[in-house]
Amino acid sequence: MGSGDKKLTELLEQKKGKIVEEWIRRIHHTYPDETANFLKEEKNEFANPIGASIQQSVWPLYDEIISGHDSDNLYKCLDYLIRVRAVQDFTPTAAVAVVSFLKDIMREELLETIEEQGLYREYLALESRIDNAVMAAFDVFMRCRERVWEVRHNDITQRPFVLSGGMCASYMLRRGKKHLEKMKCGKNPSLN
Amino acid sequence: MAKELTPQEMLRIDLSPPTQDWMDIPVEIKPGIYCYPAKPEKLEIVGMPNAHEWNPLDEDWNLPEGWKETFLEGMRERLDKHRTFKIFMDICVRCGACADKCHFFLGSGDPKNMPVVRGELIRSIYRGEFTKAGKILGRLAGGRKLTEDVLKEIWSYMFQCTECRRCSLFCPYGIDTAEITIIGRELLNLLGLNINWIQEPVANCYETGNHLGLLPHTFVQNIEFLLMDIEEYVGIKIEPSFNRKGAEILFITPSGDVFAEPGIYTLMGYLMIFEHIGLDYTWSTYACEGGNFGFFTSLEMAQRLNAKMYHEAERLGVKWILGGECGHMWRVVHQYMNTFNKPVPTMEEPVSPITGTKFENAKSLKMVHMSEFTADLIKHGKLNLDPSRNDHYKVTFHDSCNPSRGMGMFEEPRYIIKNVCNHFYEMPENTIREQTFCCGSGSGLNAGENMELRLRGGLPRANAAKYVHEKYGVNMLANVCAIDRAVLPASMEYWCPDMQVAGVSELVANALIMEGEGPRTMNLRGEEIPGMAPAEEESEGTEDV
Repeated sequence: MGSGDKKLTELLEQKKGKIVEEWIRRIHHTYPDETANFLKEEKNEFANPIGASIQQSVWPLYDEIISGHDSDNLYKCLDYLIRVRAVQDFTPTAAVAVVSFLKDIMREELLETIEEQGLYREYLALESRIDNAVMAAFDVFMRCRERVWEVRHNDITQRPFVLSGGMCASYMLRRGKKHLEKMKCGKNPSLN
Repeated sequence: MAKELTPQEMLRIDLSPPTQDWMDIPVEIKPGIYCYPAKPEKLEIVGMPNAHEWNPLDEDWNLPEGWKETFLEGMRERLDKHRTFKIFMDICVRCGACADKCHFFLGSGDPKNMPVVRGELIRSIYRGEFTKAGKILGRLAGGRKLTEDVLKEIWSYMFQCTECRRCSLFCPYGIDTAEITIIGRELLNLLGLNINWIQEPVANCYETGNHLGLLPHTFVQNIEFLLMDIEEYVGIKIEPSFNRKGAEILFITPSGDVFAEPGIYTLMGYLMIFEHIGLDYTWSTYACEGGNFGFFTSLEMAQRLNAKMYHEAERLGVKWILGGECGHMWRVVHQYMNTFNKPVPTMEEPVSPITGTKFENAKSLKMVHMSEFTADLIKHGKLNLDPSRNDHYKVTFHDSCNPSRGMGMFEEPRYIIKNVCNHFYEMPENTIREQTFCCGSGSGLNAGENMELRLRGGLPRANAAKYVHEKYGVNMLANVCAIDRAVLPASMEYWCPDMQVAGVSELVANALIMEGEGPRTMNLRGEEIPGMAPAEEESEGTEDV
């Protein structure tokens, strides 16, 4: 690690609290005001699952983006945050754009120091890592959306709770095939 | 030169939520959130009014002529008839105690899913159309007029409430928003605006006795399939009776248990438990549904579909009714059945023929819950159990809304699970018992087309399940509700994929040591029980080279 990288990492560590808290605040404000206030105020993770998903994702995500060491962990950090947004009222861009908020906040917080200390080269590498995280967030988003469709498909094929139009023939055939031989020789309970 | 666009403008990312008053934000009905409308023929089968073709995504809903008067007249009638409804319209001070208690709000972040606002949708009409202050002052007094847009908003949010009643627990005035939803849906039904996922089961139930529309021979055949599975996995041949006159007990369970996985394993559990204790009981192919989607339509429809239970008890001459593991069935049974439809005089106060226990709580109702019955059997040592057969499961218990908040049953299922499983872990305190979170798909919202809505509503429950999964390795979410068994697998697939879902009676049957049983190497799902597999035969034909 060069001395510029070291300086930048130190700066990011130093500003971590302020940057991440602002990041969380902006994510909260992608929801209507009443909701944003609630997400901020309610600290119990079970009474506030959206807030918890943000808290639990964003802090480790910040560390991961700074270090840029472990791509598996990057996806893991993004998962709960994006999984929640993927089923809410957001367009795909609005669902993943919350990751790019970090770029705006960092520029606001750090640009002056970057300029003073001549850390542009290192800073550009950091921004590229944020860009990568946004793209990874889109991967996660798509995986979640595909999962929603799989769940819908499984619901129809594996868990037919109410059948439209009467019996589901294929389901009965599948079960019937398995027991066909037994049906032939088995005694059926009779209707009294 | 054209104005330079900001990066956000270029991508057209709109991250600013609306800031207007809730009354000014028009409802947006989107695929994934709404359920398909009721088919007109399914409404006609039960004689419901104003059956018509319509599409929630269309501008024009083909509303019947005079729809506004019909709605308001219906509202006036219900304000006169139901004192609770009138009080709930009058006394809410909008303190917000309920605001953050709804699973749909907690999962969606949509303020109109705060119970107080959901109530305001109807309350604003009450003020605007029925009170002097509201008529004169309008918005200033929190009132508004009923328009087509308002009707669409009411429709959308009445079907984003599962009537779970968690919010009512926190209301200092005792306002039950579920009852507002119930009345709201009744009013929509006056205009032919039910959803098909409710209406088709209602029509099926009226015609065949069960939601699935299974005819008697199919109902029996399905159970026969499950009996064959029991024979294969347990080595016991069971021959239950159907429609047998003179049986001591009539057993009624939701039809979801007859057909859908994993409910069928719960039903296999019932069959095995009854065989084990030699219970004198019978199934009915007429009263073959405990669930009652009529309850999600109108109180009259709930009463009509419920009538078959006592009718069948009378026809078969049974002493009392034993009911399977179900959610809203128990709300209807426990809170309404013996006033909806009177128990027949020939029925008796339920007494367990195995233990002699009098179920005094069911003295008037004449119907006992399967978990009450099983817990009593275990307490008296009537079940021979080997809980180690469930050792591969780390179990938690999801209190279903209706058995917990609707009938106060918290201990019995836990007592049973602790006796049939060695590994039981509770979810966090504010997510269980009275404060339990809904599965997110109750009250007829367990359709497929509204999956995003279901997943949002399922988030708070799944969040707690995920916590015990990560902390203790919990892999089985037990419950006593057929809708839970039908919908929690979908929610878990999305939020916590390693979690399975089971009815409590399935876990009992896994542990049950039955007389004459074969080697129990498989569970009721046909899966090998870890550590119970037969020793592999020595492989033949291997030679040293």
